[in-house]
Amino acid sequence: MTPKRRVLGCCAVAAATAFSVAAAGAGLRAQSSPAATSVEVGFLQGEQLVYVKRPGSTLEAAVRALLAGPTAAEAKREITTQVPRGTPLRVVSLQGGVATVDLGEVFATGTRAESLTARVAQVVLTATRFPGVRSVRLLVKGGTPLGIFPGVVTRYPLTAKDVRAPDAPPPSPPAPQPPGGQSADMRALQQRLAGLGFLPATAVDGRSGPQTTSAVVAFQKWARLGRDGGAGRATRAALQTAARPTPIRAGRGRHVEVLLDRQLALLIDGNRVTRILDVSTGKPGFDTPIGSWKVERKEERSWSVPYKVWLPWASYFVGGVAFHEYRDVPPSAASHGCVRVPRWDAQWFYRQLPSGTTVTVLARS
Amino acid sequence: MIKPLVAMLVVAATLAVAAGAAAPPTKTPGVLTVGLAMPSAGFQVGAVRGRDVVLAKGFEIDLARVLAGRLGIPRVRFVNEPLHSTLLTSGRRDWDIALAQISITPARAQRVDFSTPYLRADQGVLIRRGLATKPRSIADLRSLQLCAERASTGGQLILDRIKPTRKPLLLENPSKLSYELFTQRCDAIVFDAPALAVLHRQAPDRYGALVGRIVTNEQYAIAFEKGSPLRARINTTLKALAAGGILTRLQKRWLGTSTSTLPVLR
Repeated sequence: MTPKRRVLGCCAVAAATAFSVAAAGAGLRAQSSPAATSVEVGFLQGEQLVYVKRPGSTLEAAVRALLAGPTAAEAKREITTQVPRGTPLRVVSLQGGVATVDLGEVFATGTRAESLTARVAQVVLTATRFPGVRSVRLLVKGGTPLGIFPGVVTRYPLTAKDVRAPDAPPPSPPAPQPPGGQSADMRALQQRLAGLGFLPATAVDGRSGPQTTSAVVAFQKWARLGRDGGAGRATRAALQTAARPTPIRAGRGRHVEVLLDRQLALLIDGNRVTRILDVSTGKPGFDTPIGSWKVERKEERSWSVPYKVWLPWASYFVGGVAFHEYRDVPPSAASHGCVRVPRWDAQWFYRQLPSGTTVTVLARS
Repeated sequence: MIKPLVAMLVVAATLAVAAGAAAPPTKTPGVLTVGLAMPSAGFQVGAVRGRDVVLAKGFEIDLARVLAGRLGIPRVRFVNEPLHSTLLTSGRRDWDIALAQISITPARAQRVDFSTPYLRADQGVLIRRGLATKPRSIADLRSLQLCAERASTGGQLILDRIKPTRKPLLLENPSKLSYELFTQRCDAIVFDAPALAVLHRQAPDRYGALVGRIVTNEQYAIAFEKGSPLRARINTTLKALAAGGILTRLQKRWLGTSTSTLPVLR
């Protein structure tokens, strides 16, 4: 059997997807010359595409601004791009609602699917944001790309809907794992973890499993021990003397602290930490933006447009950066800037964060 | 960083050739014309205008460039056939060689000539992230939730040779297959090993390891029109590339893993 890429089928559900962020620097420049209009350019933040404004009034200005990349001020807020630096613009034209964007060979650099897919989304969503553009014919070095961008069919002009529509079914539950054996020792460990806020009381069942392992990792992160998930001698000794974690900063009401150095999220009511969650934040180059934010958008089933993946139980708090469920929450920072929450906590945690909840992302704790 | 690698190999080869035999005859003198059937992830992707390939990259693209260099042919031109099958029709063609993961079969060998194989393809086993123990044998696979494409070599292999205790999931197409491995509904998938190596290479964060292969012994070879004078020289060169480890290096660069060095699951 010859391996051949297949054309992917599309689901009917089109998730809402792009977020506008106020670009402070560009906004000021636009205001200084009232005659100038502005164009909108699609960059990436967390798991989503966000639009920023740039001065200009033509499609070419928008595409050139996209190729130029985010400003230093935007980069500080972890707004990024997957368009390779120095990608030359060969041709940009608009005819009958179809924009043709012909880019230099550099645009096809790389073998990582997520980067290649995201940069196509950026080009298409930037061009189709421009008034009068319905679809985009993307060319590289004057030719029609075949297979360069995994999961995107670039043979025909692409509409915004083409790149936004989910192309995978929503995640199905994982195959059930045989439960571990029950033991009094495991129950005691779980009770201790639950007493400190690392495990919900409902999860104390005396059986080993991924949820308990994740709670042990969370404790190890808090106590700054090796993050192996095993209740070894050092971990057990630390558990003996540990007290419930306390908030890093003073705050009021229900709020969340995300501790980047420890890879933990603390759910806080007033001054009491009610739960400590094992999370994974943005990997280097995709850092989760430091600062104080508010939950601004909630989606039970969210679809990442640039990276083509489902993000169940998503609570967005800055641009495309959200808390969301993910199958894989490794002990270190691994995401595109979002905060991954393990599947057993994701739905519960989603319910704890009404819109407007303050989320403080701290580099050090 | 393949460009310096290929350039180096090509330059070294050209120097060696300059001292020896003259470049073999090609359809257009001084140009090796290569027929492709794009796209195929990892093997050959690019951009085309009409039939002309304006940008090409992948394992088979670099293989063609290295072959031309070793044969002392200064230029390579790639042309794309929209259908894989048109590469295999009999009669005279305007290309010198065809490269498109063409596996050798007796039926095809009646219409075209084949080179010595440049890649052996077996069935590979790719596991999901977080699977507790890495399977090392066919017996280890039995208790896992296995998945394969419906009506595929891999699916048949699961039923005939692995005989798992849990019913395997047979999915409609390769993209569903990889997606369900990512969602962890499947513990392991069985599919063409080179394709799995590419999948793993493109999205290493989404899957676990490519743990091994189950030998089925498909062989990918270069096709020539019947009686091509290039065949003997290309065979000699291919053997030298294999012996010198060049094929393995190109394979690692573009396909992620050299699937012929994967452990065999028995």
